[in-house]
Amino acid sequence: MKTKPTPRPTLPQTFLLVASSVLLLALAAHNVNAATQKIPRLANGKPDFSGIWQTTSAADYDLEPHSNRKDAPPGAGVIEGHYLPYLPKALEQKKKNFEQRDRLDPALKGYTLGVPRGIYYPEPFQIFQRPQDLILVHQFGHSVRTIHTDGTDHPKDPYDWWLGDSRAHWEGDSLVVDVKHFNDKTWFDRAGNFHSDALHVVEKWSFLDPNTIEYRAHVEDPNVFSKPWDLSVILYRHREKDFQLIEDYRFTLDYDAHYPPKPDGK
Amino acid sequence: MKHRLSHRQLGRAGLVALSLISPASVAAQEAKPAEKTDTKPANAAPKAPRPLKLGGPGIEQERSFKPIASGKWTGPRLADGQPDVQGHWSNTIANHNNFTDPQGGILNDPNPNRVAKGPREERAPSRVSDPADGQVPFQPWALAKVKDFQAHFHDPVQPQYIEPLARCAPAGIPKSLYWHGYEISQYPGYVLFQFNSGTRIIHLDGKPHLPDNIKLWNGDSRGHWEGNTLVVDVANHNGKALFGRSGEFISDNGHIEERYIFSNDERDRYLYQATLTDPTVYTRPFTVTVPARKWTAKDQPNGWHFEVEPANYVGKTPLKEPILDHYERVCTENNGGFGLVAEESAKK
Repeated sequence: MKTKPTPRPTLPQTFLLVASSVLLLALAAHNVNAATQKIPRLANGKPDFSGIWQTTSAADYDLEPHSNRKDAPPGAGVIEGHYLPYLPKALEQKKKNFEQRDRLDPALKGYTLGVPRGIYYPEPFQIFQRPQDLILVHQFGHSVRTIHTDGTDHPKDPYDWWLGDSRAHWEGDSLVVDVKHFNDKTWFDRAGNFHSDALHVVEKWSFLDPNTIEYRAHVEDPNVFSKPWDLSVILYRHREKDFQLIEDYRFTLDYDAHYPPKPDGK
Repeated sequence: MKHRLSHRQLGRAGLVALSLISPASVAAQEAKPAEKTDTKPANAAPKAPRPLKLGGPGIEQERSFKPIASGKWTGPRLADGQPDVQGHWSNTIANHNNFTDPQGGILNDPNPNRVAKGPREERAPSRVSDPADGQVPFQPWALAKVKDFQAHFHDPVQPQYIEPLARCAPAGIPKSLYWHGYEISQYPGYVLFQFNSGTRIIHLDGKPHLPDNIKLWNGDSRGHWEGNTLVVDVANHNGKALFGRSGEFISDNGHIEERYIFSNDERDRYLYQATLTDPTVYTRPFTVTVPARKWTAKDQPNGWHFEVEPANYVGKTPLKEPILDHYERVCTENNGGFGLVAEESAKK
């Protein structure tokens, strides 16, 4: 097939192009500065992530790209490079998990979601922030995760935790969180993507504007993956009138009909 | 990697009971499990009551306590004006074994070591401070249900006889206030309670309660400060969290008004007072009183009241006092039945 020769721009056109590009660049730079200046901050000057947040992504259905299916909308995935670098044996396990996801997904049992799944699970979570820590209350299970920003490091004699142990520091206006000492009972998503207790997550939280956070997670687990991988999602601030978390202790639903006592015959 | 499996609700019987826990019963919220303090006999020793000490080991820390009056707050404040009451707190009297005779042991307990032995007046008063008889003013049908629960607690032949906390349900109100130590933190517009089983967000911003038909284990809380007192209005109860192993309860028609009265004289003390109203279950409103004490880095960690460990501080600035870690509060279900799993003979 023949391609049309691209018409050469005339001199005035070139000038206009260059000029408008410069203008656009200047505007963009200005916007970035405006956003940086306007983000909420604590009295100590650090970015203040306090608020109720939620993603709109389809990450929890499947971190990897997927077509629609009965239990999930389609999604292009949230992983850099699209696919998870499973070790061969782990990939077999992932396939088994996927086949039995309607039975095995820990979220369906109401278990604590873990990290990073709690961040992009499709329910809101609230951040309560002080200079020394950020406390994340997830609506799902009302589970609580503390991110320490008080100059402490991981414990020397740790246990395994559902949410790991989170120690953070600031890099400019980004919060960088090192999370490890996990148990192996949580999944990354509803599609059966999983990890071992060797999971290590490094999160980076950054404001894009006062009501939007870019959340990035660098994930490594040498028992399951051949190399580290990265995901990112965008979190939006809930700004609806009177919006609040509503406790969602899903795991009590199987037995809570037995309480409280009721008058006989009612 | 360490693995702790002992469970706070089992103690001595726990090692046996743990083998009964199915792996699939690991539920959503695991506490860093406590030491074996929970099943210490809740009663006094047979002859002279053993001495108790605030900040000492064990669950029982005192047998009586002083009233605290509502009034001005003269202590430190946060930048937003709230009295600063942040930190680790815990009740001083007992756990949830027995609501109206807190140090009296579990009712109908077949275990001879856990039965109260001394006279009633040597133990802490009922948590029901009004009416004066210390009893919940139940309607007859509700009292019958409570007695039925007490008769079956040690023989849970039906699901409703299992105290829901043993299944990792949130402890609810008021039980959370006498179930392990807890942490209070404050933020503009909020007071946050991190209980051992369950989390409460107290909204100080005056927004309306959730719609009536939403029912929650910990209800929906709206608070404000009146001097030294945090006043919290709690609606939207699901009524499912019993008040203890003695089975008292409120229904989903109930309403609770709480007053957290912080002492100006002793900054490590506050008094919890709650008025419970429920025309479905009670004949009149009644008042619950629970004394609480603050635990700080000066105290020894306590496997029930103060479940902390020194943090691994690597900062360069010298600290005024050590930083303490309280690890995640996640529960492991242990509904194997209470007291059924190990035979014990009477101690001499």
